[in-house]
Amino acid sequence: MLKVLGKTLRSEFSLYVISFFGFLLLWDWVAKEQILGRSLAPPLDVLKELHRLTTVKLAGKDLFGHIWDSTRRVFIGFAIGAVFAVPLGLLMALNRYINALVKPVFDIFKPMPPIAWISIAILWFGIEEASKIFIIVIGAFVPCLLNAYNGVRLIDPELYDVIRMLGGNRRAEILHVSFPAAFPAIFSGLQISLSIAWTCVLAAELVSSRSGLGWIIIQGMRLTRPDLVIGGMAIIALVAWLTTLLISGLERLICPWKRGIKEGYL
Amino acid sequence: MKVHVLEDISLEVYDNEFVVILGPGQSGKTTLLRIIAGLETPTSGRVFLNGEEVQGPGPDRGLVFQSYMLFPWRTVLGNVEMGPRLRGVPKEERRKIAAHYLELVGLTGYEKYYPHQLSGGMKQRVGIARAYANNPEVMLLDEPFGQLDAQTRYYMEKETVRIWEQEKRTVIFVTNNIDEAIYLADRIITMEGKLPGRIKAVYPVNLPRPREHTDIAFLKLRQEIIEASKLLL
Repeated sequence: MLKVLGKTLRSEFSLYVISFFGFLLLWDWVAKEQILGRSLAPPLDVLKELHRLTTVKLAGKDLFGHIWDSTRRVFIGFAIGAVFAVPLGLLMALNRYINALVKPVFDIFKPMPPIAWISIAILWFGIEEASKIFIIVIGAFVPCLLNAYNGVRLIDPELYDVIRMLGGNRRAEILHVSFPAAFPAIFSGLQISLSIAWTCVLAAELVSSRSGLGWIIIQGMRLTRPDLVIGGMAIIALVAWLTTLLISGLERLICPWKRGIKEGYL
Repeated sequence: MKVHVLEDISLEVYDNEFVVILGPGQSGKTTLLRIIAGLETPTSGRVFLNGEEVQGPGPDRGLVFQSYMLFPWRTVLGNVEMGPRLRGVPKEERRKIAAHYLELVGLTGYEKYYPHQLSGGMKQRVGIARAYANNPEVMLLDEPFGQLDAQTRYYMEKETVRIWEQEKRTVIFVTNNIDEAIYLADRIITMEGKLPGRIKAVYPVNLPRPREHTDIAFLKLRQEIIEASKLLL
């Protein structure tokens, strides 16, 4: 009996399960005992509230409508940021004149948190979609550029020697070494950008919006509805995680050599 | 900072000769090989191949790297056919070329593997096949087995002789391993153990192949080189 228990405890999967349900139980207990006052809703209430939101409309939209609004903002801003930042990062790494021209300006903006742009964005673009997307573009831009840049910069220069010895020119070096070698770094840049994009969309929606998951959270706060707030938080975590899966899937598709890298040697 | 790496190097290598450059670390032997490859430009002096001056890297010389330098994003086949591909050889033909050299190095059947799925010895076989695939006149090998364990290294040395006898090329092979040098070379060039690197001595190796590490003549030559170098190689 004890042996079985010991074995169960030692398997990682059972520990996952224990961790997950232990957390839920602890949460439930803290909420029901009102250790944090009335400001924590038990997990079941959160689930019920989320379920209710799928049938009831908040500001003209059900839960899926709000999820879609946030996700759409993230994707548009993220896509614009990546489309400009990745090629720019690659160009900077490949050409020192472009680098010398762009890097000083980029270095000024690099340490600036994207959220710092919110007010100016609203002044420039108003409180509608454009200002929110602008923030996300800014947030997604920096890690995309940095990772593409470093991805090329950190390539072992001997790989270029291989191409040159085999009869390739500079164009072949870029095509057959710089780009493929930078792919994994580009993808980790995209992952970081995506999570920053979610932070940005949330911040933008908290400041001013009429829809989206950030707006749901704000509504919950205004109405003193912890179940609504926590529900919004949980949904954001879930959706953000699903979007990162999308990027990982894309990476597996484009970088087949990264697959099964842990499978070991023959 | 400028460092004077090589001085007074005069070396002639003959057609299909297997020359081993033997020297300890920091003796400039890798720099010498890179100059022959055309990857480094010497501040003075010149390199000729068939009477023509070497002006830079090119497919008439095949280079095999100490750390393999395979393209991790290409399969074994993709790595081996890279040379012909860069020279514009059509797909059908370069597949044939790659298959031929993969067979030469004993990797038939591994075409679709990625480098990270291979052991060190197999990686270097790919490195050798890739350099061969351009049909170079000269093969340059820069401590190609330096990262292998002793067992695999010994085996790869045997394989090197087999491959070279099957597809003769002029070979310049750099190593810091005296046994490897005697096992492989037609001629051993030893380098001084400090910078600037100079050629210290030349030893023809007239032993029949395949050689035995325990052969009396092998050991005598080994002793002679060690004593002359006054260095533990």
